[in-house]
Amino acid sequence: MKKNRLYMFGGVLLLAFAGFSFTAFKDSMTPYVSYERAREGDRIVQVAGGLEKGSSAYVDAKESLFFTLKDPKTGENLRVRYKGLKPANFEDAISIVAIGRYDESAKEFEADKLLVKCPSKYQGAEVKTYS
Amino acid sequence: MDYLSQIYLPGAIALWCAVLFSISTLWGYSLTLAGDKGGAVTFARRSYGFFALSIVLASVVLSLLLMIRDFRIEYVYQYSGMDLPTYYQFSAFWAGQKGSFMIWLFWGVLIGLLVRRTAGRAEPAVMVIYTLSQIVLLMILVRENPFVMLGKTPLDGVGLNPLLQDNWMVIHPPIMFIGYASTAIPFAFAMASLARREYDDWAARAFPWALSGFLVLGTAILMGGYWAYKTLGWGGYWGWDPVENASLIPWIFGTVMIHGLHMERAQGRYRRANYIFAFLTYLSVLYGTFLTRSGVLADFSVHSFVDLGLSRHLIAIMAFFGLPGIYLIATRWRQIPTKPNEDPFLSRGMFMVLATITLLIAAFVITAGTSAPILTRVMKDPSQVGPSFYNKVNLPIALLVAFLLALVPYLAWRGNQASEILRKILWPFVASVAVTAAAAYWKVRDPFHLVFILLASLALATNLQKTVSKAMGPGGLRSAGGYLAHVGVGVILLGIIASSGYDQSAKVTLVQGVPREVEGMTLTFKRFVPRQGREKEHMEIEVAHAGEKPFIVRPKLFINDRTRQVMVNPDIKSSPLQDFYVSPIDFDPGQPRLQLAKGESGRVGDMEVRFEGFDLQAQGNAMAAMAAGQPVTIGATLAVTKNGRTTPLKPLYRLNPANGSVDTPPATLPGGGQIFVSGINATNGAVQLELSGVPNPSKLSLDVTKKPLIQLVWGGLYIVLIGGILATVQRFREVRIREAVGQL
Repeated sequence: MKKNRLYMFGGVLLLAFAGFSFTAFKDSMTPYVSYERAREGDRIVQVAGGLEKGSSAYVDAKESLFFTLKDPKTGENLRVRYKGLKPANFEDAISIVAIGRYDESAKEFEADKLLVKCPSKYQGAEVKTYS
Repeated sequence: MDYLSQIYLPGAIALWCAVLFSISTLWGYSLTLAGDKGGAVTFARRSYGFFALSIVLASVVLSLLLMIRDFRIEYVYQYSGMDLPTYYQFSAFWAGQKGSFMIWLFWGVLIGLLVRRTAGRAEPAVMVIYTLSQIVLLMILVRENPFVMLGKTPLDGVGLNPLLQDNWMVIHPPIMFIGYASTAIPFAFAMASLARREYDDWAARAFPWALSGFLVLGTAILMGGYWAYKTLGWGGYWGWDPVENASLIPWIFGTVMIHGLHMERAQGRYRRANYIFAFLTYLSVLYGTFLTRSGVLADFSVHSFVDLGLSRHLIAIMAFFGLPGIYLIATRWRQIPTKPNEDPFLSRGMFMVLATITLLIAAFVITAGTSAPILTRVMKDPSQVGPSFYNKVNLPIALLVAFLLALVPYLAWRGNQASEILRKILWPFVASVAVTAAAAYWKVRDPFHLVFILLASLALATNLQKTVSKAMGPGGLRSAGGYLAHVGVGVILLGIIASSGYDQSAKVTLVQGVPREVEGMTLTFKRFVPRQGREKEHMEIEVAHAGEKPFIVRPKLFINDRTRQVMVNPDIKSSPLQDFYVSPIDFDPGQPRLQLAKGESGRVGDMEVRFEGFDLQAQGNAMAAMAAGQPVTIGATLAVTKNGRTTPLKPLYRLNPANGSVDTPPATLPGGGQIFVSGINATNGAVQLELSGVPNPSKLSLDVTKKPLIQLVWGGLYIVLIGGILATVQRFREVRIREAVGQL
């Protein structure tokens, strides 16, 4: 009798943990989306694109890096603000992934993290994460 | 014939011989299994010896090709170069996919020579399964032959990825592959036992192997973390990257397995579960290999992998071992003798059950997180989960583990009275309350973290007490390995919570020679030290704490000669209580350059430069000259303000359309120095200006982090490993003793 209650307690605990992990999983998922979808600004997403040449500038006053991503397929543009210093090899990147959320009031994508993919002569490309 | 000319024969022949000898090994052992009492075993053993020899030869050939830099060989061309020092040729060996499968196989066949000797009567069955686990790797190498030659002889190779040109990368990967190779051993013992329907001896024989695999894999993970921390400049030792997880998951399953085997040894329990644990440990290595080598995670991992077209092959390997494994476990399940769980709640057995369940959950949750890109493929947007998922989910798991660990030393197999536990745990509890109070006094306020610290330090204290009392007893320190390992776990947990929950980090830009306050310290960028011989370019930064002697940190930031990539190496100033971690982000050597649109202004030192617009009448009419194909002169109208006084300046830009030559006569700046137009952007009407002779200090951007008590993470891991070594030695001895008295 006592044993059964123990198993039940364990089962409930397991279920609760499974539920907890599932929500944590969903919360920290960052889907790759289009710029259009990202502009809805309802969640943290990843957007990818090429760097529009000459569009990047570090603004001391705002302690942020501003640049424009260009979707190679649709040609669409997205203005990105990254609260951090310009990563090494940034200008040479073949593609940049920005992870963050669109800020409706500033009309900018606020990136918390950048993945910079640089051309490399090695197997594949070199990817570095900045957060 | 054509194929033969495209392949380096000494190496390829060694591989083909390996195929031959591995098959004859299987044949010999199969004959023995079929009842041959004659020479089949000897034949199989010799074949295995030649199989191992062939693989060793193939590896030696590949090493030699790298040493002599024979760029005819595609693999050598891809991963080596003339400028690569000889000792990094070893890193080049396992830098690529082919070489890393080669080193895995190399260790696998060598370990197999020892496995054979420890298998006892189960040798033929164990060796058939173990040899199969080597053959699947060999098949990859036959398909992706590392001895393929290029049609020509390049003068130089592509060179080794600069991130891998590090001492840790010479030693970390081969140890990791010893760990991977060794997970196949308990698997082979378990499957052989199921196939033979002999359920008694395998656990005792596999136990020391499971322990040594756990040790080696743990050492490799420690080294990988240390490499990431010391040389990559990520700022941490663990990033929950798929490649890291691919080594952590088998390690957790391995931990579960050694606890399960301990239960079987001590109590005759877990006799069914241990088969599953051995199965999961090996399969998780195969699955991790599939995840990280097949290219499915290419978009998601910092260690990006290209698809060699191995996905199908790797899935086939998983099915090859997975399906028969599941079949064997399922069909034998009811025959495996086991004892029902009749332990009371407060007993060692019950806590072991809870601990294994907890660890299994951790392994599965991490597996699910790492597989997120595959799991979410069915949805519209494939996603990955960030580190926040792993941290969030593993916090309650770590709490539970700490709680279980804290009580285990005082629990008996038969069960205890709660009052007895409370009496024994009193002093360790007092000690851990003191630690928690100190943490709260320091700056820990989060109640979860305080509970975490309480339980982790309690686990440390109780296991330390037990380790000491065991070591004083008749068994000596040798018998205290398990408890010592648990002490280490407590230490690691404390280190993790302090160093990652309470680190202080700031990103700053320092102007050369100008002190700046950061997090209670004064940082001064002293100078840039150019490259001297093999010593790379580095920065000197003086760090001053109030009331302490200032010290210098020297992080490196340099451009790799071959790839033109900017590479960084952090510098770490370690003290017992905290690490001070400095990683460079960007260096501006101080050649002033401005790009200004009309009406914009920029600063250089104490000067403000404002661009008013282009002057098309600077020397004749520029438009008319352009239309006539004459040399065109354009002026950039600037307003330069220094010390409150504004001076108009007009540097010129002269283009001769006849030969395309550009002439840019400079203008002299107020207070000395010159400014000239280095370019004109016609589309947006911006001007590019360069200045010379102007004092402009260089700037260095840094990531500065204080990591409290991070030494505990490394120290704790060392303690775990020492405990593991003690336990391994003990279990190998036990097998020998039991064999001597005829029990095995």
